[in-house]
Amino acid sequence: MHDHSSTSGRFHRTIKLLRALISYHPGLFSISMAGAALFAVCTVASSWLLRWIIDEVIVRRFDSQHFSLSRTLTAVALLLGLSLIRACGVIVRRSFAGRAQWRTAQSLTDEVVDVLVQQPPQWHRQQSTGDLLTRAGVDVDASVAVMAPLPYASSVILMMVIAGYGLISNDVALGVAATSVFPLLIGLNVLYQRRVDKWFDIAQGELGSLSAAVHESFEGVTVVKAFGAENRETERLAVIASRVQNARVEAIRLRSLFEAALDFVPNLTNICLVIGGAFRVRSGDLTVGELASFIYMFTLLVFPLRLIGYALSEMPRSQAGFGRIQRLRLSPILTDPRSKYLRAGTELEVKSIAIGHDSEHVLLKNFSATFRPGTFTALVGYTGCGKSTFLQSLAGTIPCLQGDISTPGKQVSLVFQEPFLFGTSVSDNICMGEHFEDNEILWSLAVAEADFVHQLPQGINTIIGERGVGLSGGQRQRIALARAVIRRPQILLLDDTTSALDPNTEMKVLKNIENELSDAVVIAVASRPSLIGMADEVMFFHPEIMVGPSQHLELLVQSGPYRALMQAYERPKEQNSSHSKDLL
Amino acid sequence: MIESTNNGAIATLNRGVRAVPSLRQGIGFTVFLALIGASGRVVVPVVIQQAIDHGLHLTNNSAQQTVNVSLVIKVCVGAAIYLLIAAVAQRTAVSRLGQRSEAALFELRVQLFQHIHLLSLEDHNDEQRGSLVARVTSDVETLSQFFSWGGLAYLLDGALMVIVASVMLAYDWVLALIVIAISTPLIYVLRRVQSKLIAAYDATRSANSFVLGSTAELVTGAETLHAYSAGAIFGQRVKKSAKARGDAQTKATMIGALLFPSGEIFGAIAVSSVVFIGLWRGSGSGLTAGALVGFIFLTYRFLEPIAELTEVLDQTQTAISGMRRILGILAIPVGPEAPKYPIEVGSGPLDIEIENLSFAYRPRDGESEIDSHAVLQNVYCSIPFGTQVAIVGETGSGKTTLGRLLSRFSDPTVGQISIGGIPLNRIQNDELRKLLVVVPQEPFLFSDTVAANLRFALPRATQQQLVDAFSNVDLQDWFETLPMGLDTLVGQRGSQLSAGERQLIALVRASLINPSILILDEATSSVDASTEVRLTRALDKLSRGRTTISIAHRLSTAARADRVLVLDSGLLVQDGTHDELVTTPGLYCEMYKSWEMSRNSAD
Repeated sequence: MHDHSSTSGRFHRTIKLLRALISYHPGLFSISMAGAALFAVCTVASSWLLRWIIDEVIVRRFDSQHFSLSRTLTAVALLLGLSLIRACGVIVRRSFAGRAQWRTAQSLTDEVVDVLVQQPPQWHRQQSTGDLLTRAGVDVDASVAVMAPLPYASSVILMMVIAGYGLISNDVALGVAATSVFPLLIGLNVLYQRRVDKWFDIAQGELGSLSAAVHESFEGVTVVKAFGAENRETERLAVIASRVQNARVEAIRLRSLFEAALDFVPNLTNICLVIGGAFRVRSGDLTVGELASFIYMFTLLVFPLRLIGYALSEMPRSQAGFGRIQRLRLSPILTDPRSKYLRAGTELEVKSIAIGHDSEHVLLKNFSATFRPGTFTALVGYTGCGKSTFLQSLAGTIPCLQGDISTPGKQVSLVFQEPFLFGTSVSDNICMGEHFEDNEILWSLAVAEADFVHQLPQGINTIIGERGVGLSGGQRQRIALARAVIRRPQILLLDDTTSALDPNTEMKVLKNIENELSDAVVIAVASRPSLIGMADEVMFFHPEIMVGPSQHLELLVQSGPYRALMQAYERPKEQNSSHSKDLL
Repeated sequence: MIESTNNGAIATLNRGVRAVPSLRQGIGFTVFLALIGASGRVVVPVVIQQAIDHGLHLTNNSAQQTVNVSLVIKVCVGAAIYLLIAAVAQRTAVSRLGQRSEAALFELRVQLFQHIHLLSLEDHNDEQRGSLVARVTSDVETLSQFFSWGGLAYLLDGALMVIVASVMLAYDWVLALIVIAISTPLIYVLRRVQSKLIAAYDATRSANSFVLGSTAELVTGAETLHAYSAGAIFGQRVKKSAKARGDAQTKATMIGALLFPSGEIFGAIAVSSVVFIGLWRGSGSGLTAGALVGFIFLTYRFLEPIAELTEVLDQTQTAISGMRRILGILAIPVGPEAPKYPIEVGSGPLDIEIENLSFAYRPRDGESEIDSHAVLQNVYCSIPFGTQVAIVGETGSGKTTLGRLLSRFSDPTVGQISIGGIPLNRIQNDELRKLLVVVPQEPFLFSDTVAANLRFALPRATQQQLVDAFSNVDLQDWFETLPMGLDTLVGQRGSQLSAGERQLIALVRASLINPSILILDEATSSVDASTEVRLTRALDKLSRGRTTISIAHRLSTAARADRVLVLDSGLLVQDGTHDELVTTPGLYCEMYKSWEMSRNSAD
């Protein structure tokens, strides 16, 4: 079925995987293996003990009709002692195997976290969120899944070697017959896992599409309700759920067949051993005790053999998960665009830069400009013309394709339109790991007009997000603003950060920034005329030409498209009632 | 305490079976087959006993053993045949259990889909979405895992224990009772360990979800972390949580490691007792050497399933807590309930009547009734058919809530809303959704084509109807810019389109229904000028000939409306036309002034 080279290749990969996993915590793993060895030796010893008890104690007692107390007590003591040691072996094996498994999971998580933290945003943008989360979650679990059964599997192999030797040395013919069933059973197990796993994999894939569909359907619940589509959506999801069900049922059918076969084969072997044993006992080559211990030994090995099959079948999943984590870990760390910035002068200067997400979609070419401290520049223009990309390039979350940027100082703060807040307290979200005094925090909240924070249950210590208080879009924007402001940045970049605020609050916030950060270069994407009115300079982004920075009135005169855009803002106004016209 | 957790588990199971009655269907025959299957496992010990006592014919003098090989062969052939029958029975039992449980879980999933879709919007906020999805996916999965491994073990091992106990009793009731007596305390010990294990696994799970949650923040917040160079600090936070998870898991494994050995030690005690008492009593009580040896094997077989059962205990715990969470969701009352005695809305004018309307959020866990303050209070208002109404007010004034109540996404705490004289809660949902369409603030688009998103409103709409819908609201020119026309893919949540374009699609989608009442929750996010123009134009077209209620965030919308309702802290404080209100001293006038100021400073 599989050619030799691929089998040996698989074997090598398996060994490599196991070595890599064990290398994280070799000490813990070794202790577990020692426990496993103790368990194996005790198990084999218990079968020898059983033979001795049957031959020397039980049969003798019933033959001689004489009850020997000392012999009986010896038998009982040995039985109890041996199983006590065996139990200790099990405890050591399992607890340390678990410890090794979960500490390795922890180490793998740490490695993934290091990568996530070190890679700059341009790398993150190339990845899918779901993929990265799979690395840290499912893949870590899958990688270490193979570790727990490993010591047990090793002890089973050890048991098989000792017992196989014991069986064969006891009675060559019977021993060979019994041990020849082992490979058959392992083969049956592996075949079983592969055949059944195919269906479980299909089910898993369908489950993936089910959760994606469920997530989407719940996320769009407002639309579902708005069109009374609850039943339709339920039916749509039910179809996907039924595919999961069908794959599962197929897997179960196959599984039940194999399970029954795996029970039947060893039982039948036992029966054959009894027949064979009867001949051997008749010829005087075997005692009854030896035969019984023989069967006991064989029975003891049957269940563990199944676990070997299980561990072997887990291997590809572990391998895939571990491989994905390693690829993530080994992917080169991209350069942080900020490391290329020059630090000089008192102005923010861009020299013949080209920006865009990649060289095929250049949004702005050979652009140079200087932004003086204390000025407020508004970025105006149609969506998709590169306003946000320009800001992000200045902040270094997107690398410039060409050109240089020189900044007066280190502190550049960019606030996004949909700011990201962490599931911690308001103050943690503002400080972001740096230390600030409480009065500084309060000052930053005041600048951002975020007074609502004082009404939250625990004020600035209120936990926000999933485990805490939910905030509205405008509230989130204001906390993000406070986060930027508290650092007293030399350069403050606002990507439509006030869009969810009402115009009144928006004006207040901008006035506050003007007053409190009077030396900062402020550049903001503006989509409301009010903001444009406040700006010292305007940069107009247009698909064909890029104008500015220059003053609003100058632009109105210079640029036809700018005039057209400003008129488009006016138009809805003019359609207002006559009253508002009078006011204009 | 142990009792109570166990009762809790059984109660959960009972409630689960009541929620999905088909779980129990045909279980009797399955158990019967499992018993036959399990009886196959005692065949070997019985054969050994028979062979030793009769075939190998042990006499008083072991030197003169006579061996009756033909008898041994006869017994063995019979046993082999029985083994085959047992194997077939076992196979059938396993297959039946699997198929039935999967069918039942499918049913449970569909129930959950339906129920969750019907929950009110309060139960659907962003924070809870992840857990709702988890209920239908991973929690049902834990049940499926349970039925295909743990539940199976219970079935087969339970059957095995019954069979073995019966055979043991038949051989020698004294020894059998000793084995059973010794095994009983094992169950107590296992339960002790088990209850500790539950707590340990709960800790593991919550530690794990914290790790995953904080890792997700590293990914989704990557830009922010970079912007503030805070990656290392927040990374450390995740690592700390990963260590806490490791600690919790280590503790759980430690407790788990004690389970199997306790079975082992009880096994040793039981076998020792059997050996000691068997030997002490000797053949005087009718016991034979073969029976005693067979009994030793049976004792192991009796304890083996107990040990195996303990292995699946943790899985059982996971499954039961999964079931508990699922039942928890099913126990949340569904949102606005379907009317018991629906009334059809007549053909008369569909005036809207709001009477004494108050609304307060259901207190969340840990909050008293008093903490949940009223969002709306005693609102009265009547809106004649065809009016263009704008509801304005500051954030938190209750305007969004009023919109939700008008759309019947929630029911009021006090008072009622009626359309055409019929209370909203007496109108059949299907009818209501044809009468009244809501365009939400952030219109949600499915990751599919434009056509599929439009057909969400009207599944049977033809290609032509969809194209016409665009021109009906003056969006023909925009439609022509779509790269693939109706087949344009909109991306996840419509991410291929701008926020304004998503709103355009939402308007076209709403227009397909041709509702009498349109409720618009105006978007707060700003839209670029050209899309803004299109939106205004489309809205003008769409609102003609129907009642339109806009939850307005921009006063320009209010200025265009026939009538403006001003809300302040849940109270309806002003009601009139824009022109009236602008000249009357009050909240609206103030809002308008500051708005005008901000606008004019732009010019």
